[in-house]
Amino acid sequence: MLNYLIKRLLWMIPMLIGISLISFFIMHLAPGDITASESAFNPKASEESRQKLRALYNLDKPLMTQYSLWLKRIVKLDFGNSFASHQRPVLWETKDEKGNITKGMIQDALPITLMINLIGLLIIFVLSIFLGVVSAVNQNKWPDRLITIIVFVGFAVPGFWLALLLMYWTGVTHSWLPISGLHSAGYENMDLISQYLDLFKHLILPVFVSSLGGLASISLYVRNGMLDVLQQEFITTARAKGLTENKVIYGHALRNTLLPLITIVGLSIPGLIGGSVIGESIFAISGMGKLFFDAVLMRDFPVVMGILTIGSVLTLFGNLIADIGYAWADPRIRRGISN
Amino acid sequence: MYFKYIFLFFVCLNLTSCSDKKEVVYNFDGTFNIEKGGTLIDAMSGEPSNLISMIAGDSASSAISGNIFNKLIKYDKNLELAPEIAEKWTISSDQKTITFYLKKNLKWSDGHDLTSEDVLFTWKLVTDDKTRTPYGSDYKLVDKAEVPDLHTFRVVYKKAYAPALDSWATLQILPKHILKDEDINRTFFSRKPVGSSYYKLANWVNGEKLTLEASSSSVMGEPNISKLTSRFIPDTSSQFLELIADNIDLMNINPIQFARVIPSRPDLKNKLALYKELGNSYTYLGFNSKRSPFNDIRVRQAINYALDKQEVIDGVLLGLGEPVASPYKPGTRWSDRALHPYPYDKNMALKLLHEAGFNDTNHDGILEKDGKPFAFEILTNQNKQREMTAVLIQRRLKDVGIDVKIRVIEWASFVNQFIKTSDFDAVILGWSLSLDPDQYNIWHSSQQKPGQFNFIGYSNKEVDQLLEEGRTELNPDKREKIYHAFSKILLRESPIVYLYAGYGLTAMSKRIKGIESPTPPAGIAYNSYEWFIPSTLRRNEITP
Amino acid sequence: MKILTQNPLTLSGIIIISLVLFIAVFAPWLSPYDPNYIDIHSILLPPSVSHFMGTDGLGRDVFSRMLYGSRISLLVGIVAVGIATVIGTFLGAIAGFYRGYIDSIIMRFVDIMLSIPTFFLILAVIAFLTPSIWNIMIVIGLTSWMGVTRLVRAEFLSLRNREYILAAEAMGASDYRLISKHLLPNSLTPIIVTSVLGIASAVLTESGLSFLGLGVQAPQSSWGNILTDGKEYIQFAWWLSLFPGLAILITVLGYNLLGEGLRDLLDPKNKNQRK
Repeated sequence: MLNYLIKRLLWMIPMLIGISLISFFIMHLAPGDITASESAFNPKASEESRQKLRALYNLDKPLMTQYSLWLKRIVKLDFGNSFASHQRPVLWETKDEKGNITKGMIQDALPITLMINLIGLLIIFVLSIFLGVVSAVNQNKWPDRLITIIVFVGFAVPGFWLALLLMYWTGVTHSWLPISGLHSAGYENMDLISQYLDLFKHLILPVFVSSLGGLASISLYVRNGMLDVLQQEFITTARAKGLTENKVIYGHALRNTLLPLITIVGLSIPGLIGGSVIGESIFAISGMGKLFFDAVLMRDFPVVMGILTIGSVLTLFGNLIADIGYAWADPRIRRGISN
Repeated sequence: MYFKYIFLFFVCLNLTSCSDKKEVVYNFDGTFNIEKGGTLIDAMSGEPSNLISMIAGDSASSAISGNIFNKLIKYDKNLELAPEIAEKWTISSDQKTITFYLKKNLKWSDGHDLTSEDVLFTWKLVTDDKTRTPYGSDYKLVDKAEVPDLHTFRVVYKKAYAPALDSWATLQILPKHILKDEDINRTFFSRKPVGSSYYKLANWVNGEKLTLEASSSSVMGEPNISKLTSRFIPDTSSQFLELIADNIDLMNINPIQFARVIPSRPDLKNKLALYKELGNSYTYLGFNSKRSPFNDIRVRQAINYALDKQEVIDGVLLGLGEPVASPYKPGTRWSDRALHPYPYDKNMALKLLHEAGFNDTNHDGILEKDGKPFAFEILTNQNKQREMTAVLIQRRLKDVGIDVKIRVIEWASFVNQFIKTSDFDAVILGWSLSLDPDQYNIWHSSQQKPGQFNFIGYSNKEVDQLLEEGRTELNPDKREKIYHAFSKILLRESPIVYLYAGYGLTAMSKRIKGIESPTPPAGIAYNSYEWFIPSTLRRNEITP
Repeated sequence: MKILTQNPLTLSGIIIISLVLFIAVFAPWLSPYDPNYIDIHSILLPPSVSHFMGTDGLGRDVFSRMLYGSRISLLVGIVAVGIATVIGTFLGAIAGFYRGYIDSIIMRFVDIMLSIPTFFLILAVIAFLTPSIWNIMIVIGLTSWMGVTRLVRAEFLSLRNREYILAAEAMGASDYRLISKHLLPNSLTPIIVTSVLGIASAVLTESGLSFLGLGVQAPQSSWGNILTDGKEYIQFAWWLSLFPGLAILITVLGYNLLGEGLRDLLDPKNKNQRK
């Protein structure tokens, strides 16, 4: 196992380079660059200034040169500045001589996305475990069927449609919840408790809509896992020993079902930094999804490469955890690997 | 036993959400006296990136910086040039020198004096090659710029340049005392500007909103509304929901919302006022003049006859637009009233196509010439109205036997792969123009290099000459004749088919008073500084 | 048959899918209007006898567009998943069968592909080609094979050392024979289940792409683009939102029910549970 781990970790370095290289080239395959913005079609804007900007950002150099320039900076953890006219730092804030702080783009967007995803993940896991267990224990009876339907409907509903319908119902028809954004108008003037409550109210819909899809897959996973476990001999033994059904289910079966969930946790890690651009647009939340989407459309290469780098590091680690968890949980594979 | 949990869940849900807040009933009707104060909240789809307008190109940035900075002169409600920082200006008899006389006692919002030195400084900045601005070309035509005294600014051009005044109505003046030691391309000033106009920046929360507050030292006098807050809401459907819920006061709406949605709801009609104004832009179908068969004038004219422009206006804009016959805003002096768009005439179209050699020899419904069917591709960018227009055009052209395919392409790819290289058959695009009639950059035959704006490849010696004359003739009446002649040739040669000039449609909460009606040529926003919100109609604001 | 009645959910899934298939195939005969027939005098009419589902922004009959749109939704799902399944099965089989170095390389390739966000790949490809329906299908297919690979590989790894496989090998069966005649058929269950679920996912992805403006282009109709067109007027022109939204919902639901039902039915482990 240790050998396996070391091999995987060593593999990561060439893989990261490979991923960044592929991403870099894909990004540059799409025609256009940052200069093709709105001003590109303003008859008062001159082409030479665009050429100058291109030269400044090295966009006129051969691709491999651009890539190696970028690589040299990134290994020093220098993510650079955005190509957009605000030129904000991609990752972390910078301070100029006068003490003015310009915040980093990822620095602003990531906490928001993390907050929504983590809360969502927590809710999904808690709910899914509960629903999955109930389903498994009542296999093919009405609770199972009802839960299956509800959970599947949750997965099947197009996110932006549901979001708009909910926003309309909770925000327009009734004034229960705010419609979009993260903070209310007078947020700065509220006391701390009100601020938290305000943020909470703004997060309810986005978290709900973004978690709905995950609920289906994870509760199903738990259900099937439980079904597998409940069949096994040690469960029959436990029942024969006279343990209460609850103890059997929650004490023994569930514990064994949860182990493979590590796989899921691992696979979810890279997803934590990804926001849904659709959800973020509708709810007017400036998270990583919108940041990435806008950067791709604008061909803002430093931002795109910065996000992809962080994403791929997290994905590689997440996959590693997932694979280890999977292998550990399934003895058949464990044996297969060590053969 | 699960019912317990379900019940508990719903109880929690009810506890966290408050009951409907008391629906405040505003009485919007009646006469109100002007009062200072209040906050106007509007929504923007994009976030400004840089508040130094010579560097930032996006509309979000200009919308905000326009409230903060002043120009030497501006356009008044009838789209005539009027004083702003300069109280008057004179043009020398050789038409090469313009002298601006600044108002006295002008101040920046930080208290410093605003003088002609600031104007000179700004001009130097915009013409400096190190400044990353795409808008320098007009200002570089100035041979000499000088400040005889603190309230006078003089520019001397090498040749008389008619669009000059328009360029001075666009250049936002920056403070020398703050920026003289800064690198304009990297200065924090772009996020923390100091201006001289009605508003100054109060607060900018990245990704959420930006708030401007009234500046007491404004060179223009104080505005009535104390605070302008712009919320960044990318999706227009969310913006509309916020408007309906009275969380924002103002938004640009589309024809369906204007003509169908809002009128169908009495509650909305009661609290929203609708305005429409003709903008300074038009949408067109442009042919690649260098590509067959569009190099044949009869083909271009035939397509012009084959299209029913009123149908496009009615279908795509629900009638909220006007047909155009020249590349100018209808109602202005540059738009020749004597010119009319090509009428919808299918027979004329077919006649011209036959003359050009197209016939349906194999009776499959599509015309052919030399064995090749008449088929081409229309490219456009991702814009709902343009896509719908393309569909209507496709149908009408099918009627005359032309097979059209539509291709919608993402903007950056579009510009780089097809426009720059002039690799297209036809495009549906729009031009958003300045108020000066000069269109040299778009129509002159010398402007066809990659990246320049005559990408349709139009060349006409007469037009070239007219455009050159128009640039150097400062007398408006003479200019008018020149540009009328130019428009006439353009209409006849039909290198593009003018489709429509759409109205800008705005929905505004009725709490905002002081909007001029009927809408003047400059649009409703020209006097936004005179709008006011009566105190009885203001939202409850949480104050510290 | 009894199996089906004991599983009403799976049965519902089958009924839904069959209905969608029927509609897709017979759309031309079922549509009262030409889906592209523009009538600017009938813009945004509510449902009525002449237009069951109302009309859209250009006066086109929504019901007809929905019927033809089912073809797109179905096609996108099937082709995209088809591509993903073929690639995934092939790579997963090779990785799981040969293990060792080949397995490492393939799985690292999977990791690389998983690291690059799907959306980014889709955008790059679509931006630089056109958002045509074929490009969308190919791109969705090319970005969703990774899960299948993992699954197939896992099945092969666990089956590889079963006695009957070892026996066949001892008898001199070629690799090709082992894979195609023994290993693959026994791995079919997860492949089928994933494919069916993948179709559901592809339908949802298409609607998401339409929202971003990257989906199927005018004048073709897809449920996703009808839904997107209507998002500005969800209360006023509710028919533009309700019908495609429900259609997507029900179809995706159907596929999910079918897929999960198949998983339950075909998984030998569950056979014991049935009382």
